[in-house]
Amino acid sequence: MKKILLLFLLFATLTNFSGYAQERIVTGKVTGADGTGLPGVNVTLKGTSSGTITDVEGSFSISVAVADAELLFSFVGYVTESVKVGNSTTLSIQLTEDIATLQEVVVSGLATSVKRSNLANSVASITAKELVGTTRPVTLDGALNGKLVGANISANSGAPGGGFSVRLRGISSINQNSEPLYIIDGVYLDNSQFQTGAGTGPFSGATGQTSGTQDQATNRIADINPADIENIEVLKGPSAAAIYGSRANAGVILITTKKGKAGKTTVQFGQDIGFAEALHLVGIHKTPWDTNKINAGVFLLSNATMATLFAANGSGAKTSDYEKEIYGNTGALSTSRLNVSGGTDKMKFFVAGSSTDEKGIQKRTGFTRNSIRVNLDFKVSKAIDFAMTSNYLSTSTSRSFSGNDNNGVSLGYNLAYLPNWLEQHPVNGIYPTNPLTGQNPLQIVDLAENNETTNRFIQSFSTNIFLLNKADHSLKLSIQGGVDFLLTESEVYMSDEIQFQKNRANPGASRYTKSRNLSTNLQGFLVDELKYKDFNFTTSLGAIRLTTERDISSIQGEGLKPGQRNPNTGAVRTPNSFFAKWQDVGFVAQEEINWGDKVIVTGGIRFDKSSLNGDYQKLYPFGKASLAVNLTNFSFWKFDPISALKLRVAYGQTGNSPSFGSKFTALNDVLIGGRSGYVPNSVYGNAGIKPETANEIEFGADFGFLKNRITLEATYYTKNVVDFIDVFNLSPGTGVTQFSAYNIGDLENTGVELSLGATVVTNSKVTWNTQLSYWQNRSKITKLIVPEYVVGSSGFGAFGTNRIRLNESPSAWYGTPLVGGQRTKYENSQPDYQISWRNSITFLTNFEFSFLFHTSQGNFNASLNQELTDEGGTSPDWSNKAADGITPVGVARQLGQPGVTTRQFIQDASYIKLREVALYYNVPVKSLPGSWKNSIEGIRVGVSGNNLALWTNYYGYDPEASNFGNRPVGGGVDLMSFPSSRRMFFHLTVTF
Amino acid sequence: MKNFKKIFSIFLLGLFGVTSCDVDNTIDPNRASVGSVEKNPSQNQINFLAVGLQSAMRDGIRDFYLNTGTVGREIVYSASTDNRYFNELLGTEAANFGGANDPNGIFNTYYNAFSQGRRRAEVFTRSAETAAILTTAQKAGIKGFARTVQAYLALNLLNMQNTKGIRETFGDLSSPGDLLKPGPFGTYITGLTLIKGYLDEGATALAAAGTSFAFPMTSGWAGFDTPATFLTFNRALAARVAMYQLDWPGMITALNASFLNIAGPLTTGPKYTYSTTPGDLVNTLWHNPNDNGAPYVIFDQLVTDAESGDTRLSKVALRTTPRASGQAIVSNNEVVMYATNVSPVSILRNEELILMLAEARIQTNDLPGGIAALDVIRTASGLPTMAVAKPAVTTQAQLLDEVLNQRRYSLFWEGHRWIDVRRYNKIGILPLQGLVSGNTYVVFPQFSRPDAEVQWDKANP
Repeated sequence: MKKILLLFLLFATLTNFSGYAQERIVTGKVTGADGTGLPGVNVTLKGTSSGTITDVEGSFSISVAVADAELLFSFVGYVTESVKVGNSTTLSIQLTEDIATLQEVVVSGLATSVKRSNLANSVASITAKELVGTTRPVTLDGALNGKLVGANISANSGAPGGGFSVRLRGISSINQNSEPLYIIDGVYLDNSQFQTGAGTGPFSGATGQTSGTQDQATNRIADINPADIENIEVLKGPSAAAIYGSRANAGVILITTKKGKAGKTTVQFGQDIGFAEALHLVGIHKTPWDTNKINAGVFLLSNATMATLFAANGSGAKTSDYEKEIYGNTGALSTSRLNVSGGTDKMKFFVAGSSTDEKGIQKRTGFTRNSIRVNLDFKVSKAIDFAMTSNYLSTSTSRSFSGNDNNGVSLGYNLAYLPNWLEQHPVNGIYPTNPLTGQNPLQIVDLAENNETTNRFIQSFSTNIFLLNKADHSLKLSIQGGVDFLLTESEVYMSDEIQFQKNRANPGASRYTKSRNLSTNLQGFLVDELKYKDFNFTTSLGAIRLTTERDISSIQGEGLKPGQRNPNTGAVRTPNSFFAKWQDVGFVAQEEINWGDKVIVTGGIRFDKSSLNGDYQKLYPFGKASLAVNLTNFSFWKFDPISALKLRVAYGQTGNSPSFGSKFTALNDVLIGGRSGYVPNSVYGNAGIKPETANEIEFGADFGFLKNRITLEATYYTKNVVDFIDVFNLSPGTGVTQFSAYNIGDLENTGVELSLGATVVTNSKVTWNTQLSYWQNRSKITKLIVPEYVVGSSGFGAFGTNRIRLNESPSAWYGTPLVGGQRTKYENSQPDYQISWRNSITFLTNFEFSFLFHTSQGNFNASLNQELTDEGGTSPDWSNKAADGITPVGVARQLGQPGVTTRQFIQDASYIKLREVALYYNVPVKSLPGSWKNSIEGIRVGVSGNNLALWTNYYGYDPEASNFGNRPVGGGVDLMSFPSSRRMFFHLTVTF
Repeated sequence: MKNFKKIFSIFLLGLFGVTSCDVDNTIDPNRASVGSVEKNPSQNQINFLAVGLQSAMRDGIRDFYLNTGTVGREIVYSASTDNRYFNELLGTEAANFGGANDPNGIFNTYYNAFSQGRRRAEVFTRSAETAAILTTAQKAGIKGFARTVQAYLALNLLNMQNTKGIRETFGDLSSPGDLLKPGPFGTYITGLTLIKGYLDEGATALAAAGTSFAFPMTSGWAGFDTPATFLTFNRALAARVAMYQLDWPGMITALNASFLNIAGPLTTGPKYTYSTTPGDLVNTLWHNPNDNGAPYVIFDQLVTDAESGDTRLSKVALRTTPRASGQAIVSNNEVVMYATNVSPVSILRNEELILMLAEARIQTNDLPGGIAALDVIRTASGLPTMAVAKPAVTTQAQLLDEVLNQRRYSLFWEGHRWIDVRRYNKIGILPLQGLVSGNTYVVFPQFSRPDAEVQWDKANP
């Protein structure tokens, strides 16, 4: 690398950079609405590419060559102003905020960007203020929830540390990766969910469950510190993401972290303190019990045994609210941050440290994150700049046990079967046994461990070398690289004292897993910008290489020596290791033609090959083309009320490589009688596997009314996933149940995205900005070369599963009764539509009030919540009478009862959530006493809430749930998931 | 133009420097491939495949015993958190699922396990045939072993599917398209013929296999680990098949060539072994006594119907707390057949052979011979002989009932009760049928054909 850089340095010195004629100097100051100087504003001489930027005070100085010069003042987030210089030598300019953010620069290629007003796609952009400016969602994906038009984001459970599935524009895959590609400052992030083993036999009693598909681990995007983020751009579909090729089928989320600004060194200290409490509890303690119920019910124990137990526990004289004891705690939340930023023209820095400690609503659960970031920007010479970002992160979660279960270890599950009169409290450290599920839940809370710690380094570098830099022609070499290294270590431990362990052959178990992942990315691009008359041509050409290496190993001990956690002390030790390694290479060419900001045409192509594909040397092409027409930039446009009108159409293709291992047909290692052997796997690989691809066409119109005070963005898209990969179910009678991966069909997503923004009020006292968004998506299988089948891990038989059936939605639920041999189709796990409403109101100069409502309507879960609490006799309405007037509803609703079909379990999970509310006050520092006034630049205090309120008819802890984790299809299976929490904060930020 | 060249060459140089444009042709870093044993395997590979087959032969046995044991009203897997084990399996959902279990539900694992075993045996045979290192006799030994295993697994599969039959041809394993062309389903009768063919083919091969196998036999096969002794297991299975075929003379012939020993220990026979060594399996038919999580409890009629003094009741024990499984079943007793989770499971033992002998003799009207065989079992179980205990039981029909009764106790929860009452058209004698406590319980005569098979045939008529 060094050598190449040197070469370019040498080359750059040889290149002649032309200067400009200098006639006279114009100086001035650019301010915002409140009169304070705006640093970093672009000041350009209209019709040329010469210009400057304002300094920290908002002042500028520019040389102009001609008398009738016109200066353009543009700044992200503000409306561009054009000022005729005339004879003035000093200018005073005030910029107004632009809610449409049309001047913002948006990524249009791997090494190029474009102004939002010239973009042909609907690219969602989320600023730091929108992301974490209101309240403090703990993870990045959580912070996006309700803010992204076209996204279906759902928390898998409420356990600390997140775990979200993010689906952009519908379903991009059936069983492959469906989470968007996250790129932070150019580094391709690993967003795996590593298995911990918490859901396997030794810890849940699940017979034969040896791999952790139901571990409910967090996904690794949770490591990223949302507070470091300056801006997020979301390329929702292939039409926008085509240039990212075979990793972009599910969309791309581009994250840019904060950078230093030239000028005075700024020190900012921030402290958030708050608390979390359960958003909603089911209220199982309210369920009345009496002898009649004991005798009439159907419980895990015989009625006679239940009666004896009831009597022995005081016949209900003393009851406990176990749900509240377990999930009703208040967790303390705290985040401290210290940022230092500043720099000179040559070097800018941003250094940030932060420490987050969040306790959960269950004792001994929580999430911590410690982050150190250093972002540096160097201007080596006029022709060379260089930037690097370094981030070290250490996160840990303690999540206890929730979700699916066979032995009462999962607390939600256990609570469902726990009558309020059964004494479970420990006496002198002795936990009473639970004769129902076989596990005392308080013992799990107090003694069982399920922890995960991640140490992670994310490092990026980028350099631009101008080989040519003339007013009308520039050519730069842009090189960018990154490394993402993480080591996740998990610990699952249950001592031999735990009730359910005592029933195991070898009581006392621990499992330690180390998951190491190294991802690298490196790209080189040549970008040529040519100006000819009214036309701008941007040509880019480049190559990219991405690699991933993974090593996951675990050791499990069963039958541990008392008091010991080391698996070595176990009677049975099970080691396991898994290696994976793959590389992708892509070649990219792209041309953007801009005719005076009136018509913008883009075309591009990318060729990708990947070691994951069956034919590892085959290049797969992904093309794109787009057209944007800014009608209001044409001279014929005279209709002033419409200040901006852009019509756009974009087409693009992306791919998704098959997951690792898809092409291998393995011999499974087995053992008997102390001898090792192997047998052909029951699942065969597919040596001919191809990537699944998607193509999308998107039409849109963007309106700005009344000087962009009102904006409307409307988009319609059709996204076709071609050759989607899933298992190919064979006749199991052949002894091979399936090909693990096969290109078996096509599916289509169509959707509408509408976003209306307005500055409702703006005057010296009050400014009220509002944004109302609506989006919907429909999916349909349009081609299927295999018989209809059940999506793996998409539910539990008669409790509802997803099926892949031609001309139907893959996320629809199916179940009993069978009509003519066909399963009955029920509602969909995808919502009919979502709406979000975001508001921010500034009043009395220094106050800011903001809130965000989000609703998802028409999404259905396959919920076992009712069934579990009915079986346990703990549903609050259990004793109400069913239609026959005799049977308790708690019995009549159970599976197996007459007339009970899957209908009972497919439950409407629509909700309205008040996701964020905040009130901030900017202390007027100028009015502070002398010594403070001089040293402090700003003080901001506020209170906020996250997930403050939930309105839903859903029975359970939270309608957002997914037992099987992040899944494109098969989410929305709920078995008393960990309750979500309501979080409230007090905030203080001081800037020096 | 000169500049352009300079720029371009430097650009290329830069690109080659920073990005290697190759990707690896990855081989599986985690497991050996099936392809590696298809052609001319080494002795080591043969050994691994043989041990592998012995290990994988155990797959599905728990589900087979659990499913037949529950439908046959012997036991209940009283999973505290999954009532499908005592609702669906006892037929409460049968009306919803075309008369049996959910074709898509959780009770199909036996089907896959047994089918996979059939194929694995086939892969082993074909692999061995290409091995340069093996003699003709050694290849015959492998074929005899593999065919016998195939027959055992296919018989279990057929008994679960009963009249729905099993897929009877495999296609050519060496042709990649074979997986897409499975043969049609036969009937119960043709299935038995197919399995008899496997066994006879295996017997012929074993007879030509010399004195020892060219691969290791694991400890569970002690006493059956040479071609000659393994042949006696092959013939024991042949006797079972003849029994289902109602071929009573054939059954006697097969029994005589089996390891039947009327005076010998009842427990003689090959066994599945288990261990806690990583990679091995544990015996999942074991549970901790008085477990409340998911115990194997029984239908108490086994105890209440028993003759007093029957030592075979030691297979069950009284629980400290009775267990309810749904509304209709309360079990005071649970299974205690396996002392630990590494206790071996019998595959087929002398006790069954003696009972088969009794049945075959009675069916061929050798009633005294039949009674004599029954008395061997009764005496061994602590019961008085037929003449003392049941002097009135003298007719062929009465004696066959007694055979079923003795099989109920001798072969408790070993996959026989449900099949026994079915082959004698006596499903009606099983308890818990019809409307009980609001649920309709049904003993289904066979398990549903898995949905994957139904869908396959629908799509590939």
